[in-house]
Amino acid sequence: MKNSAAFPPKPDFSITILSQTQLLKMVVELTRHIATLSQFPLQEAQKISLAIDEAVTNVIKHSYRNEADREIRIEFFLAPAGLRIRIFYRGLAPDISGEEVNIGRMIKKKRKGGLGVKLMKTIMDSVVYTSVDGENCCEMIKWRTAK
Amino acid sequence: MKSFQIRSKMVNGVAVLYLKGHLDAHQVGRFEKELVRMIRESNFNILINGQDLNYITSAGMGIIMGYIDEVREKGGDIKLCSLSERVHETFDLVGFTEIYDFVADEQAAIEKFSRIPPQA
Repeated sequence: MKNSAAFPPKPDFSITILSQTQLLKMVVELTRHIATLSQFPLQEAQKISLAIDEAVTNVIKHSYRNEADREIRIEFFLAPAGLRIRIFYRGLAPDISGEEVNIGRMIKKKRKGGLGVKLMKTIMDSVVYTSVDGENCCEMIKWRTAK
Repeated sequence: MKSFQIRSKMVNGVAVLYLKGHLDAHQVGRFEKELVRMIRESNFNILINGQDLNYITSAGMGIIMGYIDEVREKGGDIKLCSLSERVHETFDLVGFTEIYDFVADEQAAIEKFSRIPPQA
């Protein structure tokens, strides 16, 4: 069953952090640990934690403009079929264009940002941003592949 | 101990940056500062040695992306060497391995730089 019904209605684990980049490493290590608990191989767990790093970094830098006292809530839903992670935050709504990332064009424009969402979409099976009544959510799902 | 460390030295005319540890958005400013210092000192042959780098995010990769064009316009390049399988895979996920020169080890990378014709 590979749809949202595969996951429990309430998160198995959640954490609320302040919008500070110094906390990213802790979030990465926590996510890797939870993904491993969810039976993902270490290599997959490391990639999932990288995707979460990118998502939370985007929130801190773009939605909260590096304000250090805002809150970010991260929820983890574990299921035999996979892992669902939801990141809740307020601030500026995400600006996720459907434009395909073109590295050559970004180099010519001397851009330093814009790779994070590509990484997230490459690593995870689903990345969905929603915004309701001022609360934004980035939901990411990684399904377990059958051995 | 800091989770990310950076040091640099000149090797046969190549500015080598040694990255160690965990390079994320929190640490990336130090990486950019050192890279910019190299470029401002007119070092356009730059090698990033990632032998001891165990983690990188798009923040770190973005810094390389942001300066590569300027360096190449000056006749140089930013090459990368000695990356772990995990870090190399991160670069591969965004397609960097098709655009940047990844070399197995530092000596081979220095030799590749020496084959670049001198700037006019």
